[in-house]
Amino acid sequence: MSLTADVIIIGGGVIGSSINYYLSKRGQRVIQLERNYFNSGASGSCDTMIAPNTKEPNEHLQLALYSVELYKTLSQELGRDIEYEKKGSLLLIENEDELHIMEGIVKKQNALGLNSRIIDVDETMYLQPGLNRDAIVGASYSEVDADVNPFRLNLAFADKAVSLGAKVFTHEAAQEILLRNGAVAGVKTNRDTYYAPIVINAAGSWAPIVGKMVGLNIPIKPRRGQTVITEAVPPFVHKLVNNARYIVGKHHPEMLKNNHSLKAQMGIAISLVQSKKGNIEFGNSREFVGYDTGNTYLCLRELLKNATRIIPGLKNLNIIRTMGGLRPYPPDSKPLIGFVNGVPGFFLAAGHEGDGICLSPVTGKLVSDLIVDGKTDVPAAPGFDPNRFDLF
Amino acid sequence: MVPNEDDIYVCRCEEVTVGDIKRAIAAGARSVRDIKVRTNAGMGVCQGMTCRKNIERMLREAKIDFDACCTHQRFPVRLLNVGDLTAITREEDEACR
Repeated sequence: MSLTADVIIIGGGVIGSSINYYLSKRGQRVIQLERNYFNSGASGSCDTMIAPNTKEPNEHLQLALYSVELYKTLSQELGRDIEYEKKGSLLLIENEDELHIMEGIVKKQNALGLNSRIIDVDETMYLQPGLNRDAIVGASYSEVDADVNPFRLNLAFADKAVSLGAKVFTHEAAQEILLRNGAVAGVKTNRDTYYAPIVINAAGSWAPIVGKMVGLNIPIKPRRGQTVITEAVPPFVHKLVNNARYIVGKHHPEMLKNNHSLKAQMGIAISLVQSKKGNIEFGNSREFVGYDTGNTYLCLRELLKNATRIIPGLKNLNIIRTMGGLRPYPPDSKPLIGFVNGVPGFFLAAGHEGDGICLSPVTGKLVSDLIVDGKTDVPAAPGFDPNRFDLF
Repeated sequence: MVPNEDDIYVCRCEEVTVGDIKRAIAAGARSVRDIKVRTNAGMGVCQGMTCRKNIERMLREAKIDFDACCTHQRFPVRLLNVGDLTAITREEDEACR
């Protein structure tokens, strides 16, 4: 059975599902394709953070703050508990140099509307007991930061879209994008052919593979993150805990270029969060190793050493699982969202790197605005135009 | 009293029942991992040691052609203490390869 729709979305991660929901809400007829199962990519191997505090203070932060607003009512809108909880996040500062950099960042964050502030060691210890007092000189703190259950979020978006009339097909891989006079006309999968004048590439780390189907060179690369998960324990990590070095590793890897330690080479930073069930997630690394989602002892060990130095009590916990996921890394740390010039009807929404969970609602909103209205009130949207890169 | 089969726990760690698994399959789940992300079955302290076989059986009974090789377990196979893992040396790691 061949189906016709207004829009076909390729990708069953949070970005694809959020777009499906926001488009369906606007009355668009949507088909969403996932070649494996929902959450089989980065959306199922990530942490749970919605943390504007870790965003670079530029358009990225503006996008994150818009998302924070959308999140507040999302459980209600989607009719399901997505385990959204405002917790606040700490960026632990380990020395005077970092403190100096973070003071500058906090200033810029506040100018863009994020109410973050530098706090001293005592206040940091009060907010997150169990920290090694000698390892830190303070932290930056942001209250609006929250966490969410990514599995539930993704499925809630998709299920709600289906209740609004969308069609979702899993275990169906896009194999060919049909063109008519150079414009998008549909998608052929391993099972069927679907027709629509707009195709959205929301395939995350696999977006370049989908892009190739219409002759595009999409400059997104998979960037692996390894994560350790412990058994469920009583509340212990109360805040989203990251270190200031996280920002450096994420946005300014060049600053680590001359640092040849294992930790720096694997892009390891601290990222700790405790789920509603009580499992503690230790993240994570940033490695370019192609599409390999495996784990390495060396990396896991460095991760844990790093985290247990800051919170020694974590040493007593038991690990139940490790995982590796692939962030869709864009060269300039900004996602690519918009129609691609030169292939009418081909829309790109990928390259969110480690911010897919945080940015999924705003991405869905932005994409539906651009497709339905041709314009948007989402700030800084032109900064994410994919045509800033030479895609051909 | 005849117990309702749907109330039987398949995953004891995460308290996932036969009914939950059936609903996941009805919603389109086609593999153990697919069921895991929909129900949390297999995400508890034993990491599917108890429930994986039963879930695979339910998939087979539902005539779903799943790839059993895809349900390989990730490290660690059994609980591992954080402190112990941090003590592994580079030489030990290389010796394991």
